Amino acid sequence: MPVVEVPIEKWTGKVKEVRLGGNGRRSEVVGGEATLPFLHFEGSFPNRPLIAIDVRDCEPRDWSPHLVAAWGDVLADPGAWARKAVEFGADIIALSLRSAHPEEGNTGADEARRTVDKVLSAVDLPLVITGPGVAEKDNEVLVAASEVAKGQRVALGNCEEKNHRTIAAACIADGHVAIAKTPIEINLAKQLNILLCDVGLSPDSILLDPTTGALGYGIEYTYSVMERLRLAGLGGDAMTAMPMICTAGEESWRQKESKVSEGVPEAWGDPLERALIWEGVTASMLIAAGANIVVLRHPRTVERVKAVIDKLMRV
Amino acid sequence: MSRFIATSAIRGAHGILKEAEALLKDALEKLGPDIPVAFPATAYYLPVIYGFTGHKVEKIGDLVWPLEHAKSLLAPVPKEDLWLPYLGETLDAGVATLFAEEIVEGIRFAQGKQPEMRNGYRYNGPIDDVQMRSWGIQMVDGSMPGFAAIIGCAKSNEVAVKIVRELQSKGQLVFLSGNVKGRSIVDQLLEEGVDLGYHTFTVPFGSDTISAVYALGYATRAAFSFGNVKPGDIRQVLLYNKFRCFAFALALGHVDDLKYATAAGAITYGFPVIADTVIPNILPTGVTRYEHVVSIPFDDIPGRDDLERAERLVQRCIEIRGIKIKIPTVPIPVAYGPAFEGEVIRRENLHAEFGGKGGMCFEWLTMKDMEEVEDGKIEVVGPEVDAFEEGTNIPLGIVVEVAGRKMQKDFEPVLERQIHHFVNGAEGIQHMAQRDITWIRFSKSAVQRGFRIKHLGDILHANLHNDFGAIVDKIQITLYTEHDRVEALKEEARAVYHERDERIRDLTDEAVDTFYSCTLCQSFAPNHVCVINPERTGLCGGYTWLDCRAALEIKPTGPNQPVPKGGCLDPVKGEWEGVNSFLYEHSNRSVERFTIYSLMDAPMTTCGCCECVMVIIPEANGVMIVNREDYSMTPCGMTFTTLMGTIGGGLQTPGMMGHSKLYLTSKKFIPVEGGIRRVVWLSKNVKEEFAEQLREVCEREGVPDLMDKIADGTIATTVEELLPFLEEKGHPALTMEPLI
Repeated sequence: MPVVEVPIEKWTGKVKEVRLGGNGRRSEVVGGEATLPFLHFEGSFPNRPLIAIDVRDCEPRDWSPHLVAAWGDVLADPGAWARKAVEFGADIIALSLRSAHPEEGNTGADEARRTVDKVLSAVDLPLVITGPGVAEKDNEVLVAASEVAKGQRVALGNCEEKNHRTIAAACIADGHVAIAKTPIEINLAKQLNILLCDVGLSPDSILLDPTTGALGYGIEYTYSVMERLRLAGLGGDAMTAMPMICTAGEESWRQKESKVSEGVPEAWGDPLERALIWEGVTASMLIAAGANIVVLRHPRTVERVKAVIDKLMRV
Repeated sequence: MSRFIATSAIRGAHGILKEAEALLKDALEKLGPDIPVAFPATAYYLPVIYGFTGHKVEKIGDLVWPLEHAKSLLAPVPKEDLWLPYLGETLDAGVATLFAEEIVEGIRFAQGKQPEMRNGYRYNGPIDDVQMRSWGIQMVDGSMPGFAAIIGCAKSNEVAVKIVRELQSKGQLVFLSGNVKGRSIVDQLLEEGVDLGYHTFTVPFGSDTISAVYALGYATRAAFSFGNVKPGDIRQVLLYNKFRCFAFALALGHVDDLKYATAAGAITYGFPVIADTVIPNILPTGVTRYEHVVSIPFDDIPGRDDLERAERLVQRCIEIRGIKIKIPTVPIPVAYGPAFEGEVIRRENLHAEFGGKGGMCFEWLTMKDMEEVEDGKIEVVGPEVDAFEEGTNIPLGIVVEVAGRKMQKDFEPVLERQIHHFVNGAEGIQHMAQRDITWIRFSKSAVQRGFRIKHLGDILHANLHNDFGAIVDKIQITLYTEHDRVEALKEEARAVYHERDERIRDLTDEAVDTFYSCTLCQSFAPNHVCVINPERTGLCGGYTWLDCRAALEIKPTGPNQPVPKGGCLDPVKGEWEGVNSFLYEHSNRSVERFTIYSLMDAPMTTCGCCECVMVIIPEANGVMIVNREDYSMTPCGMTFTTLMGTIGGGLQTPGMMGHSKLYLTSKKFIPVEGGIRRVVWLSKNVKEEFAEQLREVCEREGVPDLMDKIADGTIATTVEELLPFLEEKGHPALTMEPLI
């Protein structure tokens, strides 16, 4: 049999390493790879992708009964929820300050401070903290969260073009990481990174959220943008070389395939298993595309995706 | 540098250093070196000293070194006969002064004499960290531009109040310190019952000039907290403040030596100094972004009364510091937003009409000098809409005068074209066309709700500031409604339109050294890059070279980036080294080169937005051009849509190319292939829309009857139908040199 030499690409760039936590809290580093995902034969891939578990500051009203069953009564208490997430194997707690949404409680800075403080003292994992996704409210609660978490190096998001200065300022002042979110577009992603660095945020304090499409709902779009971001970053473009975070759980659990149990063909199979597959496959694909952190919801998906990462990390 | 200012500042620095030295000596003796020195509830020690040197002051003994250091910075007071450029010495004297002032305040704290109590009023002293953080974030995100450090005492109480109110309304923080002959602006404001404190964005530091050092301390701490600057890295502290903190000092009343010295310290930070008295100006740009020292004698400011003078004074300060105004909501009595852009006002709902058939309406945006424009001035010359009967066609002239440090004459048409989009955003208002064929309609309900002609000015003022603040600083709008005035002004405007058109015609690719890119479409066509040059507009028809240049000024990190032409590789095909290397880098290394004027050799790629597609028809030895709005079959056997599937997405296909409609009229229209003579088929709607221009082009090219020889969808939709037509008409392409 002829021996085929494995082609080795010579990359000039490297994904930035971003540290979360520390200062008494458990510290995790993501990024740092000098090759495309898991091509261990080609270059160094020093840090395994991490799993964050979604924790909300208020009981989610629209969550699937499967998720509610899996988490039980901790859903009403973010501290207990976070502790349980640790038991289920989370590397990071992704705390969502959803109750600040004008239609879901419209809570403000004070509540945000209390919740963040509570979760910080409940667990020693690094935190990702996101606002309700409404720019003014995001600014209000994230600035408060930033203050409470000062020195704990959490990731704050979402930081979008319209509020990037506020979030960047909070991150600089309190030593956090900004989650730069752009709508599935490489140039916008790059531009936001440039703007953030322009405000004075250090490039190793940025995580990139390319916006996730779930399996069957645009994942190929996300995949290709992530791939291009990686190629550009490894090709030497420092402004695209930030580690990526993907909200796989949130996106997959809101799709029809994860929700319906009746009126669908039998071939669709068991509703729970189907939902788990949806979340698991979405997350695994994103990891294959270069995600450094995936945010998940179901404990069993966490287990499965961890197993996938274990295998992929084997050299 | 003004010799007078230099001498005063250096003299002032000597004075305050002497005072600090005496005070320190006394404190060392009476309190001892180990008594703590700190500004309460603040980190960063004595921040100016810490910022400049990294030296931490924690106790009285720690003040000795900064004092010696400050003394070492100080040059002797210039002698009468010494004439040198004193800038360096003056700025150093300013820094020495800030050190001395911080030392004095530090000792006062150790002595329990700070924050100051005066006439039963407790001043604030330095801003605490919690407040600094909260304001700091607002400064970084731009909701608060910066601060105004006011030193001294205003002409009168009412002027004091007006100045502070004006600054507050512009979102500026107001820091108050200093006095003139014992009377301070803080006294004036308190007498008028003005509520001072963090909650009203006014901070009374103290009643003497020395307390103004807290403003610079605040600026230094902001650089530490939000600028990632390390203590001692003073260059970064100063640059941070120069470019990010829109602060300035405003000296009210007599400026003594210590004020000059402190002002020199402020200038070091990039903060300009404005005085309302007669002092020498230092106008050249350098340490500050624009002017350094500007004297605006209060009584010489034009205005009906002191209040108006105060308002103008603040306006001028804002300009000198280069602070941009944002107007969060458009102040009109109807709703405003993109949802209303497509609204059509029908006759039955029409209250008033401007322009259109039988009417007269024009819009003209023109650039003026800064002094000639009063920002926010909106004037209706002639009767308002309610003076006319319903349904009247009212003559209207919209004259927008703008001024800005970065404004260029060439941006006038770019901004003027936005009027259409801006005005259309108002509910119940419809705007069509531009220049002297503008046509505007007001609906009945809009007028009922109070919409008036004046509000057109409000819409333009707000939107031009918000969207074009990067190039425009001041905007005033005059709306003329008297027939004769409108008619006369329209003629003036017409001359300008004509001039602009001439200028565009003269703007050739050879005349510029930079083209612009557009990568707006990379979201869906990742490898496509548009290169836009004066003689070939963007293929979507939306971007001209001038638009791109303006867009770059407005958004330096945006999708329109400069493309230096670099060495010319082929002047005929239009190939440049700089274009190729930009293209290669920005097309994800998928397109190595393109020529700008050639269809056959490495043509420009298309994202999918092109107005027209040009395709070679080998049988006819020519090209056909089909437009996006033409749904018919074409002689190449494909419709527009099918063609887009072939060439869209950034693929380079020799013999096929996307372009704008306007490109047809360019002198650089496929010159390699023979220009307009090669066109054998052209969508009928383009023929009609551009009839006039195309006729001119044909005449210019020496083929005046060419248009009659070019087929369209009504004549031929196959090559078989096309060829006999071309032969019958004797189309020049048939006898031209073979394309392939």
